[in-house]
Amino acid sequence: MNRRVLALIVLIVAVALIPAVVHSDYILTLCVTAGIYAIVVMGLGILLGFTGQMSLAQAAFFGIGAYTSGWLTTHLGWPVWPAMACAMAMSALVALAVGYPCLRLSGHYLALATIGFGIIAQLVLINWKDVTNGSDGMTGIPAPVIGPWTFEHYNSYFYIVLVAVLACAYVAWRIKTTRVGRALEAIRENEIAARATGIDATRYKIIAFVFAGAYAGLAGSLLAHTTKFLSPDSYSFDQSVVFLVMLIVGGSSSIGGAILGAVLLEFLPEVLRPLKSSYIMVYGAAVVVMIIFMPRGLVGLFESLRARWRRGAPPPLGAAAAAEAEAA
Amino acid sequence: MMHFDPVANLQLLVSGLAIGSIYALVALGFVLIYNAVGVVNFAQGEFVMFPAYIAATFALPAVAVFGGVVHWQLPLIAVYLLVIVLMVGFGLLFNRIAYYPLRDRGWLPVVISTIGVSIFLRNLVQLTWGSQPLVLPPLFPVDTIAVGALHIRPQDLAIIGVTALLIAFQYVLFERTTLGKQMRATAQDRTTARLIGIRVGRIVAITFVYSALLGTVSGLLVAPLFTVTKEMGALIALKAFAASIVGGFGSIPGAIIGGLTIGVIETFGGFYVSSAYVDAIAFVILIGVLLVRPSGLFGERVAEKA
Amino acid sequence: MTTPDAAAAAERGLLEIRGLVKRFGGVTAVNALDMTVRAGDVHALIGPNGSGKTTTLNVISGLYRADGGSVAFDGHELAGRPAHAIAALGIGRTFQNIRLFGELSVLENVMIGRHVRTKTGFLGALFPGGATAREERATRDRARELLAFVRLDAARSQTARSLPYGDQRRVEIARALAAEPRLLLLDEPAAGMNPAETDALVVLLRRIRELGTTLLLIEHDMNLVMTVSDRITVLNFGQHIAEGGPAEVARNPDVITAYLGGTLDAA
Repeated sequence: MNRRVLALIVLIVAVALIPAVVHSDYILTLCVTAGIYAIVVMGLGILLGFTGQMSLAQAAFFGIGAYTSGWLTTHLGWPVWPAMACAMAMSALVALAVGYPCLRLSGHYLALATIGFGIIAQLVLINWKDVTNGSDGMTGIPAPVIGPWTFEHYNSYFYIVLVAVLACAYVAWRIKTTRVGRALEAIRENEIAARATGIDATRYKIIAFVFAGAYAGLAGSLLAHTTKFLSPDSYSFDQSVVFLVMLIVGGSSSIGGAILGAVLLEFLPEVLRPLKSSYIMVYGAAVVVMIIFMPRGLVGLFESLRARWRRGAPPPLGAAAAAEAEAA
Repeated sequence: MMHFDPVANLQLLVSGLAIGSIYALVALGFVLIYNAVGVVNFAQGEFVMFPAYIAATFALPAVAVFGGVVHWQLPLIAVYLLVIVLMVGFGLLFNRIAYYPLRDRGWLPVVISTIGVSIFLRNLVQLTWGSQPLVLPPLFPVDTIAVGALHIRPQDLAIIGVTALLIAFQYVLFERTTLGKQMRATAQDRTTARLIGIRVGRIVAITFVYSALLGTVSGLLVAPLFTVTKEMGALIALKAFAASIVGGFGSIPGAIIGGLTIGVIETFGGFYVSSAYVDAIAFVILIGVLLVRPSGLFGERVAEKA
Repeated sequence: MTTPDAAAAAERGLLEIRGLVKRFGGVTAVNALDMTVRAGDVHALIGPNGSGKTTTLNVISGLYRADGGSVAFDGHELAGRPAHAIAALGIGRTFQNIRLFGELSVLENVMIGRHVRTKTGFLGALFPGGATAREERATRDRARELLAFVRLDAARSQTARSLPYGDQRRVEIARALAAEPRLLLLDEPAAGMNPAETDALVVLLRRIRELGTTLLLIEHDMNLVMTVSDRITVLNFGQHIAEGGPAEVARNPDVITAYLGGTLDAA
């Protein structure tokens, strides 16, 4: 246990040192974007990874958060921090409104309802020109300010995103390791048994959906204040699919997996740049291959490798019956 | 908003039924696969898009492929036959790669797998044919024909006609032939079907092939209306999926009625209400149905077994 | 020593089913069923295949909605309540096809069973105060106790799916017991077990009964039923055709006909 915590601290410190060591603006941009995506994917991880509910609307909540934050700061002159909080709240509220009726439905119905909602949301972002400025985009979004410091550049914004990622990971971890997380996982594993065990599955599913929306909304807001420009084209169904792929590749029921998936798939295009446009095909093929051979994603792969390394002996089969016979 | 104009409305109705027929065919593809294996195929749109690209490659005098240009133009009948043969193979391959290895793992892995295939195909298409849309030659020499006071696109009539024929064919297939009955039995209860000797694996493969053919027909019918792009299947499929839920998920007549309904409402809505939000109409209907009557028009509530 | 309320409670059954009806499309699976389960009994529900036993259990536990009649648990009407509320009232169950949380560990499965007896919510999860940590520890300890009770503590870290069938059944029972139910519904607990495992199950069922839990079990294994039951209800075509002690029911001519003569085919 302690070794793990130590390794985690070392990792966080190493990441925190990146802006000091790396001077390429381009790479720092990738890092910041990867971190922002990681937050969206962690949110999806709570909903899909823990609770087993599919949503293809994360991009919509991402967009709602981004535009809420952008609008509050550019049109109402709000400072960034309250705008960010409000963006998160707005996404959460919309998620509640959408989730409340839709999470009474199962699997496919939910997936499609989220797709439908996502498409409608994007159309609103494109067409509600008074608020969003439509396809021309929203410009002039300010950078956040703490006291005398303004976080204009990627090398300082990096730390805001890092803190946000760590906070979101902590919350997700706390959910996972307590009664609430167990209830969510029970719902994923066997919803009927979960209900019979006293878990109000519908309520928990809705709450998980709200968390996913809130995470995406926070991430959207973070994006708005770093790119300072928003276009509705980014918040499409395809983008929701990308988030899903990131989660699957990283490992859906793991928080580290969510982060890994986001980072990997953000940097992979760079690595695969020589392949030019065919690299997206690799995405698609990779998804199929992974789901067949590595359904728990990369994290699952690491875990089974590690388990094989350890080679512990399981208790003998039929332990219960043998023990009972002895006692009787 | 405007005075009731019977001519305009009838024309809209025909258009609506035409696009609705496309939705109906694609929705049927969804429903058949869902009934057979319990999974929604998120690559159904690519079953529409891919054959359109293949058809375009052989129907046009010159097509850019892999950066070069090919001149593989064939007579239209030959093109259709070729596409159908290739798509049969495609359906079999899809079954073998995307579904078969995951058949025991529950619905979510298969859904994810079909999403992967969808992404793969869309980008394969972009790699092969580039990003420029392909424009198929129109099937009919005239743009519109006059039927009484109406001006109707012959393509729309062709779509409605072919769809009606296909539905009639399917009715005969399912009700009157052994194969059809086997497919229905497998769709109702796979375990029992296996017990009475139906080769379920084969039937599932045939279902995928048939669904691919439904997509093929849709693609060939709709391609002359729009341009052939890598995205053409995506929105159609999503709306068709919505249509199948509106009609009652799992119900074949539901898929057809749902598709036609959404096509008609969408066409009228796009004209009278808003053309910017026309794509949203199908999903607004969907969400409405999900909230009020999730079992759709013809669906049944299914009780869970403990 | 007994209050008037307690005396009245002892008079009526812990579970009283009156005129229960459940239909699926054209099939009436449960047809005006009357049944009484007395507190503290081991009560078996038997009958030919298709006689409505599992359906009855599913209606009691809230997974199906009844089409008519009433199910009263300790005076509370269960009809219309969702499954999780019925669990909170004190009814636990196992399933004919074992429904464990496969990918989770055995210990986690039983800890989840404690859900209705614990209350840490999202707020408690986010702000790890003393109460949350204490409840977490208590849940873990209680789960280990229960695993010890079913002799499976050694397997607690394994994934539930990896256990052999008989052990999985025991985990399911431990999970149900974690909620401290007054009534435990068991759907064919001995299914798929060999004689040695079945004997061990009988011992376990008796120990559960000693805890004060009322048991209602569906079973096909007649030896088990005759050995362990205090009362038996026999169903056929969704109605009860006999109810009473084992000896009484075994002699009942209607029961003999239902099992041996006349209607041999399952509905």
